[in-house]
Amino acid sequence: MTATIPLDRAKRTAPDRPRHVRRQEWAGYLFLSPALLLFLVFVAGPVVAAFVLAFYQWDLLTPARFNGLGNFSKMFHDPLLYKALGNTFIFTAASMVTHLVGGLLLALGVNRLKNRFLSYFVRTSLFFPFVISWAAVALLWKYVLDPTFGPGTYYLHKLGITPPNWFVDPSWALPAIIGIDFWHTIGFTFVIMLAGLQTVPKQLVEAARTDGAGEWQILWRITLPMMSPTIFFAAVVTFIGAFQIFDPIQIITPQGGPDNSTVSIVMYLYQQGFESFQVGYASAVSLLILVVTMFVTLLQFWGSRRWVYQA
Amino acid sequence: MGVSSMKRLVTGLVLLLVGVLMLAPLVWLIVQSFTSEKAALGLPPGWLPKPFTVDNFRSIDGLIPFGRMALNSLIVAVISTAGSMLVSVLAGYAFSRLSFRGRDGLLLVMLSALMVPVQTTIIPIFVLMRHLGLVDHLAALWLPALINVFAIFFFRQYFNTIPRELDEAARIDGASHLWILFRVIVPLSGPALAAMTILAFEASWNNYFGPLIFLTNPKNMTLPIGLVTLQAGQSGASIVVFAAITAVVVPVLAVFLVFQRSFVASIASSGLRG
Repeated sequence: MTATIPLDRAKRTAPDRPRHVRRQEWAGYLFLSPALLLFLVFVAGPVVAAFVLAFYQWDLLTPARFNGLGNFSKMFHDPLLYKALGNTFIFTAASMVTHLVGGLLLALGVNRLKNRFLSYFVRTSLFFPFVISWAAVALLWKYVLDPTFGPGTYYLHKLGITPPNWFVDPSWALPAIIGIDFWHTIGFTFVIMLAGLQTVPKQLVEAARTDGAGEWQILWRITLPMMSPTIFFAAVVTFIGAFQIFDPIQIITPQGGPDNSTVSIVMYLYQQGFESFQVGYASAVSLLILVVTMFVTLLQFWGSRRWVYQA
Repeated sequence: MGVSSMKRLVTGLVLLLVGVLMLAPLVWLIVQSFTSEKAALGLPPGWLPKPFTVDNFRSIDGLIPFGRMALNSLIVAVISTAGSMLVSVLAGYAFSRLSFRGRDGLLLVMLSALMVPVQTTIIPIFVLMRHLGLVDHLAALWLPALINVFAIFFFRQYFNTIPRELDEAARIDGASHLWILFRVIVPLSGPALAAMTILAFEASWNNYFGPLIFLTNPKNMTLPIGLVTLQAGQSGASIVVFAAITAVVVPVLAVFLVFQRSFVASIASSGLRG
């Protein structure tokens, strides 16, 4: 693509553009028009509309009222919003650590397996939960952790652990959802890590081994640095997915859990927008989600230049 | 036994345990749904369907229109996937092969939209759908899913790897852009199309946020929201819910087993390229 740019520019500035170039211009717009139209209606337009709505007070029934910065100042003094942000950051941090470390360890382990059947079995069973919808996963785990008949509860007792009443205890509801999320999405991180591991040049590892490097040294000095683009990608994707966590929270704890202990930021947006019909306020919250997502994504790209190996 | 083979054995055993633990909840679910209502959900947990029955599945349809919901899920997934693939292939071709004013700027604007979370656009889209009278219609789900910026970008990148000599040769023979796209480029883009199709279908099939907001009548619901509605309507644990979850999950797992290779490859390729 880069090679063609100067050529086009030259064509564009020429006073008499040849007919086939003009025809190509039209073809370009024509081919792009469905995507462009849909993009305007369902992406760009709604983003602009969200910005506008954030300055209004609206319950969807009575006419909207201009509210200036009211929604934003309300956000600053909203203890529930702070609670939701706190829950979301805890969930995101836990999710990133568990997924990145877990996914990497599992990939390193599976990569060593010589037995083909075992390798297939582990890869498949790790990935199975990811294929299933959150709705099914959330309902299933609600049952697995049920205090009376749940097998999770039963076997924890067998191991001598008395499990808490997960979704009733304010300090355990969010950790339980963190665990369920791990079960559901670890397969995704694992697959990404395993693919990244295949990109590490074998000669490099062999050369280090002949030079007398130990396994540990090879891991830290060769494998991980060579995998850094993969780890970086997995970090960005895990962050975005975790920050926007909603499905299991709404399904398992429809009221937001004991003491609002599971309300995530998106759950809060849903409660405000679609349960209390505070459309303006919910739009302001949605802008906060947008800003944080963009900020962290850009920050990660910026930070990655310091530690990601560029081939 | 040497140290390294000992280590390998331990790694293998640990991973075997992890695999078994990952599968256990699913096995338990499926076993319970085939166990007669009286014996199900017993302690210690049953790992074999004794006594075996399929009655639990028969009761689903009395509570939710399961078949209708499955059809709805299929309709939304097929329309949104096929439609978004068509739109994205056309746009990917424009970005890869055609030159027109503002092309690179437009691509950049679209790419920056990848950072926009669904939650930011959902409220205005809900307002729009209300104006159009599409709330509680399946179109409210598949219409917004027709724009798939990631697929557009993915196709553009993939098309760029296809030698331009091929389409130039076709153009000299008088072929139109549409002909080049569908007879030259698309047939050479099998893996990219497969990857994006799988991801789009999966996203639509498992979507919960959209149906939760747009659909209210059980007859119009898709499976994920239908499952949750079914469960909410039961007091306490009901074995019917287990059967319904099994009926949703098992076909998906079966399809996954058949397409496992391309499914996993699609995830990996989207990661390494994106």
